Amino acid sequence: MSWNEFIYFAIGSLLFWISGTILIYTSKGARLGNILILSGIVLFGSFIVGLWIGKGHPPLRTMGETRLWYSFFISIVGFVTYLHWKYKWIMGYSVVVAGVFVFVNLLKPEIHTTNLMPALQSVWFVPHVTVYILSYALLGAATIASFIAIKELKKGEYGLMPLIDNLVYIGLGFLMMGMLMGALWAKEAWGDFWSWDPKEVWAFITAGAYLVYIHARILKFRLNLLLWLLPLAFVLLMITWIGVNYLPAAQGSIHVY
Amino acid sequence: MVGKSERKRKIAVEEVIIISAVLIAGLALQFFSGPFDKRFLAYPVNLVFLGLLALVFFMKKGAALSRMASGTLSVILLAAVTIAALWMGLVPGNMVKVSWPFVLLYLMLLVNLTAITALRLKSFSAKQIPFILNHVGLLVLLFSAGPGSADKSRFFMTVMEGSTEWRGEPSGAGKDAQVVELPLAIELVNFSMEEYPPKLGVVDKTTGEAMPLGKPHFFEGTLNAESQIARWEFRVDSIVDRPRYAPAAYVLATEIETGTVNEGWVTCGNYFQHFKILDLTENLCVAMTFPEPKSYTSNVKVYTPDGQVKAAEIEVNSPMTVGNWKIYQFSYDTQKGKDSEYSVFELVYDPWVIPLYIGFIMMLFGAITLFWKGGKK
Repeated sequence: MSWNEFIYFAIGSLLFWISGTILIYTSKGARLGNILILSGIVLFGSFIVGLWIGKGHPPLRTMGETRLWYSFFISIVGFVTYLHWKYKWIMGYSVVVAGVFVFVNLLKPEIHTTNLMPALQSVWFVPHVTVYILSYALLGAATIASFIAIKELKKGEYGLMPLIDNLVYIGLGFLMMGMLMGALWAKEAWGDFWSWDPKEVWAFITAGAYLVYIHARILKFRLNLLLWLLPLAFVLLMITWIGVNYLPAAQGSIHVY
Repeated sequence: MVGKSERKRKIAVEEVIIISAVLIAGLALQFFSGPFDKRFLAYPVNLVFLGLLALVFFMKKGAALSRMASGTLSVILLAAVTIAALWMGLVPGNMVKVSWPFVLLYLMLLVNLTAITALRLKSFSAKQIPFILNHVGLLVLLFSAGPGSADKSRFFMTVMEGSTEWRGEPSGAGKDAQVVELPLAIELVNFSMEEYPPKLGVVDKTTGEAMPLGKPHFFEGTLNAESQIARWEFRVDSIVDRPRYAPAAYVLATEIETGTVNEGWVTCGNYFQHFKILDLTENLCVAMTFPEPKSYTSNVKVYTPDGQVKAAEIEVNSPMTVGNWKIYQFSYDTQKGKDSEYSVFELVYDPWVIPLYIGFIMMLFGAITLFWKGGKK
């Protein structure tokens, strides 16, 4: 399988997700809705598996490929969060975000086949990248929830805080794992755990922002200010993921792709 | 931004003032004595520092220790380090990581982290394990990667096939690098390399751009490979890949509309042989890219002063460990590629590598504990 078949899987999955999400809002169709959303995830996942087999190496090399995983993970994160917390909107937002990245991949692929250079041929490659993208998806969901929480705060409601904190904790857990595995890999590949490469600097900034958030939460800082840290941290995260390539300070990074 | 009570606010303000004072002192040091020289921290200074930090564990629970272990202090320091990293990430050519203010921030973070873990360890229970894993892991890591890393040294060593070398060039020393004798000798038994098949594409000779413009397409130059670019269909009729020579492909290009066939050898060329293209029009031609390396391997024997001999295969991502040394495949004669007669190794000496791995393992498990902490409703 190759990127040529992507459009069929992508449109199919989006149709499953959209119809499923509409159904969970109805009282009778919730069960069928769940099945449809799950089918969409399976269909999307099978494209990733097919692409992996077709390429002969994991599709984690190009920007387009990381977007592919993001759509996949955000749909899973949205679905699991919805099942666990019964917030339907999180499923809706996740589908929108997944859809945006699907369309970016359809319109601006950046998927030219590239050979896997020796430094990337490592057991750390797959876990390092997937864990990061998974954490991006979780923290993306936390950001969406933070906007709603900022609105609710004006009415004196705090109901979303446990959900937000959970998403940030789990997201940060994956973020730290991604960073630690990256460092272990760097030691094997270049002899240094950490070399302040631009992507590393920004990964550090991102982790720092979320660490400030969870520590400030433990210390019960005022929410009307603290909640704004989540959208800000997500902007930093997006710079780490996508923006770094365009920064003047980042030319010559080993992570540019 | 601070908690409710007036006292908390006062403490936070004090902390901000103290940190600012330290940072200003750092700026002054930077101004008068230039960037921080890490070598200052090398053995035995880092061990003395470790001893001083260890003293924190013997401090009695009380005002002093809790001030050092303050949570708001942690938040302020974390925010300050993040802002310093932002500077690092935004300003081209900055020297933040070797600047005095950054080093002092790092130091304050180490003290704060030590004090917090000391305080927590005084009232240890199983519930504290996630906290301990994350914070002690980070402390071990930050110490080994900070003051500890001053003991680290790196060298490059170029070894010819069939010969033995024990002299290395310190990395990062630039032009005045002096070759030094190392306590390791490497014999390069054999260097070998695998390449991906080269790729073929249609290139505009006047601009060097590949077709189709903006969305260039290349196909693998393997036997019987077929592809279509712009208004031609291509087929690779035969492939030649001999030692010393560059890979070459015999390409048939058929113009779809007219059926006109252009054919000929195409090669990317190398140090031994000229490149060759196949002209399609006045400006467009078929060209071959240089084959990309798939893997390169050095078969080595390593000799140590105590008479040990260790044989190994060293590859990218698969270094060899000899005591506190790690030997990495770094480079080769890129002009000659497969025919390279030498291999370049990077040798890294790091006596802190074991604490570093301990820190990493603790933090990895610590990260996993965040999942069940976050899993609660």
